[in-house]
Amino acid sequence: MIRYVITRIIWIFIIMFTILSLNFTLLKLAPDYAPTTEEERTIYYEKQVRDGYMSFRLITDEAEMEDIRTKNAQGTRLKNAYYEDKGDMIRAYEPIAISKQYFSWLKNLLKWDWGLSTRIEVGKPAFTVLSSRMETTLVLNLIALVFYIPIGLALGIIAALNKDKPIDNFISIAVMVMISVPSFVVMILLVMIFGYRLEWVPTIFPAKDAETLIRLRGLILPVLALSFGAIASLSRLTRAELTEVMTSEFLLLARTKGLTRRQAVIRHAMRNSMVPLVPSIIFSFVGLLSGSVIIEMIYSIPGTGQVYLRALTRNAYDYNVLLSATAFYTVLTLFAILLVDLTYGIIDPRIRMGGR
Amino acid sequence: MQKNDDLKQKNISADQFEFVQKDEKLYDQELEGRPIGYFEDVWIRFRKNRTNLTASIILLILIVSSIIMPFISGKEYNRIDEKIAFLPPRVPVLEKFGIFDGIVSHEEMPVDLNTYDEATGLYYPMGYNQKAIIEGTLTNSTIPSNEKSPSVLNGQALMVLDYDSNTMTIQSTEFFTLSKANNGILELDVYEMDTASNGKLEVMLQTDFGGEYKVLATIEEPGKHAINVFDLNPDLYADVVSTLRLRYTADAGRSSVAISSISVLESGSETPVFENQGFSLSEYKIVDGKGSYQRQNAEMIVATFEYNKYLAAFDLTREIAFSSAEYDQLIEEAGGNVKKIPNPDNPEGWFFEEGFPIREVIRKNDTVKVDGKEYSSYEVMLDYKTYLGYENLPYFLFGTTSAGRDLFSLVWVGLRTSLLIGLIVTAINVSVGVVYGAISGFYGGVVDILMERFSEIMGRIPWLVVLSIMVVLFDPGIKTLILTLIINGWIGTAGVTRMQFYRYKGREYVLASKTMGAKDGRLIFRHILPNGIGTIITASILSIPGVIFTESALSFLGYGIGHGQSFNFFGLTFSGVSIGVLLSDGRNFLLNYPHLVIFPALIVSILMITFNMFGNALRDAFNPSLRGVE
Repeated sequence: MIRYVITRIIWIFIIMFTILSLNFTLLKLAPDYAPTTEEERTIYYEKQVRDGYMSFRLITDEAEMEDIRTKNAQGTRLKNAYYEDKGDMIRAYEPIAISKQYFSWLKNLLKWDWGLSTRIEVGKPAFTVLSSRMETTLVLNLIALVFYIPIGLALGIIAALNKDKPIDNFISIAVMVMISVPSFVVMILLVMIFGYRLEWVPTIFPAKDAETLIRLRGLILPVLALSFGAIASLSRLTRAELTEVMTSEFLLLARTKGLTRRQAVIRHAMRNSMVPLVPSIIFSFVGLLSGSVIIEMIYSIPGTGQVYLRALTRNAYDYNVLLSATAFYTVLTLFAILLVDLTYGIIDPRIRMGGR
Repeated sequence: MQKNDDLKQKNISADQFEFVQKDEKLYDQELEGRPIGYFEDVWIRFRKNRTNLTASIILLILIVSSIIMPFISGKEYNRIDEKIAFLPPRVPVLEKFGIFDGIVSHEEMPVDLNTYDEATGLYYPMGYNQKAIIEGTLTNSTIPSNEKSPSVLNGQALMVLDYDSNTMTIQSTEFFTLSKANNGILELDVYEMDTASNGKLEVMLQTDFGGEYKVLATIEEPGKHAINVFDLNPDLYADVVSTLRLRYTADAGRSSVAISSISVLESGSETPVFENQGFSLSEYKIVDGKGSYQRQNAEMIVATFEYNKYLAAFDLTREIAFSSAEYDQLIEEAGGNVKKIPNPDNPEGWFFEEGFPIREVIRKNDTVKVDGKEYSSYEVMLDYKTYLGYENLPYFLFGTTSAGRDLFSLVWVGLRTSLLIGLIVTAINVSVGVVYGAISGFYGGVVDILMERFSEIMGRIPWLVVLSIMVVLFDPGIKTLILTLIINGWIGTAGVTRMQFYRYKGREYVLASKTMGAKDGRLIFRHILPNGIGTIITASILSIPGVIFTESALSFLGYGIGHGQSFNFFGLTFSGVSIGVLLSDGRNFLLNYPHLVIFPALIVSILMITFNMFGNALRDAFNPSLRGVE
């Protein structure tokens, strides 16, 4: 078991490292978007030099200065380079080779330096920009998780116990609808009906300093929209697992030895069918999290998803924030996957023994 | 009944039995009926499930509609026309029942005070076509409002001092003329005054034209106050023409005075010759001191009515700059049948006969010369219905968008784009996945382990990471969208294919073929792949809705296709409209124009539901053992 756990952890770390490195390298290939004002720009480039992403030199040679000026005017200068023309000299900030930048980046990461935000909150450390919003997103997703699990389980159990009866058919249709309708469509419709028409809930997410009651009401719609699909997949899975167990021989045995149907179902069927659900419930958190990006945008929720989308505004990309945000989502996703793998290992000895 | 039968069968006497085929010889008989092939079997199982069959038929209808509906709707859905924007849905037949009839109800809209209707005693709303208001639905009411707007009537003007202030002065915008000959008297109606704080209102005028403002009277209590200027200042020798200033002073801050009206009376006239009240009074400007000047107790007349937006949109509309090129073209199209009718009231313009899109030319605008070419335009009244080529009021089944495009056509066009992207992406994913999975599964060993590790890493990349890389490197657009969808879209198919290969590659017939010298390619494509094809097909079909879902989500976020984009596919041009784009557009008008969201949402939901059901039906048919799982 220990060997299994260790190999899984190492493997997950390898994946994480690969994804983050890939992300960094590819983003570095794209055109740079420095802050817009002169002052902020100077600070930004100084920091780039200090962090080891750019080299700095003073150009005083007339011929070279002239050359750079013409290149600047023609737009053929070195990609992502920045030349500050001071008249009698040029302060040149030039990017160094990406491979070297990569190692600088790793060094900075060890110091937990994710760079500065360039567009969203200029000059603020990128990770601070993100971490101030993590709470909202995590709270929202955890509430959705707590909300959807009992409903999903209950629907699945009801459907399985009443297999092929009208109620089962009804739940099946409902599940099909819930699983098919995209969550952002659900969210828009919910906002339209309950926000604008009936005015039961706020039409955008209430601010932090709003009353508690209003803030609670503001949670209703996003939680509903997030859990819509999750409820459907959980109840479908529960139904499938439970119906399989219901036809198994040990359940027949339990009935034969004199247990009532209720006792047999609760003691034997439920317990056995619940075990395979645990990994899928853990993994559903990843689905909720990535689904919440679009919900946050629709409902103006100040969470990490919104920061991510703002950092990805066309022609105003904020790479450092983008990197931190994607790292945040990657780490959470991989952590959930690790948990799933480990629970599978605990549940199913065959996987563990395989020692993958 | 059952019991009776059982009893009967128990008591059958021996002589009732007889031998069957006693005198016949039994031979092998030819099989009756035909053998059923794999796909036939699948089809039979597919047909059995009624619900899924219905869903599949609906899906088919959707797909066919997406192809033909834009053509048969007969609307120019690419034309941007603000005049017919935001029309509500209008559907034949249903409109007779009062739903989807293109009529919207407006509540409490400000009225235009110049449009008093003598017959009904009602004012018409401002900015609405009177002809399009459904007869009998117009009602007027008053609502309290303190807005400084001409449509807000009555009430008083309120001068309030700031906390730290004890004086303020306001000045009229118009000149007051007090005639000496007619003994002009200034009358102030003070409604309320804060006498507790010794409030005083001083009335000031320039008795010499352009000179100093002189205090004429001081008012210390509410009520009507007549100020006889010429009695107070007997030495005034001429008429007084001046703006009026009112200075309010008090001991304490927040002290206030409310004035109902200021008027000028003349002897020999019962009614005031000049009066400032309501809006005109509220327009006075603060010229000195600190305080605020507001209205109170004022009211606005508002209209509530049902409005036929179609009538309004397709009525005569004034076009200020109608290009002469289009004008000439219209004249040319009509041939010689159109006659100019001179307008006796307007020598610059002329009328056209009914039936011609242009009903009246008001005037010809100035000609502009650019690069030696002359450009001119007309100011015209257009018969918008005829101009757009409709004989009767058109039916926009789903209404029109904010750009005046037919939503019904757009939804189908968008659906077509979404479906096509779904198909392209799935085709790429399946091709890549099948090849990858086949190689990985067939060769096994180290190759398999390495390929599995690679696909695991690819599959673990969150879509947010993929999206950010693609958008940053290639800019949003159709190519980015497709790339984003295929970066880790092929992994599912690869996994399924690999499983199938593991299942079949050890079978005896494969071994036999190998012994006979078959190459790997033959083994893979002739012997193993066909066995797993059913599973692979269902996995692919089931992945299409997922692709469409992601596509619409990305387009909704603005990273996919968008307006103004189009792409070519085998010579067919597809517009940049997809369901996600329509939803994203409609999201801005949730409050007032919910139809812009409801219809695309409805269609995409039906598409996803039926597509999933179709996929499930297909899976059940191909693989009966998997029935009911997921």
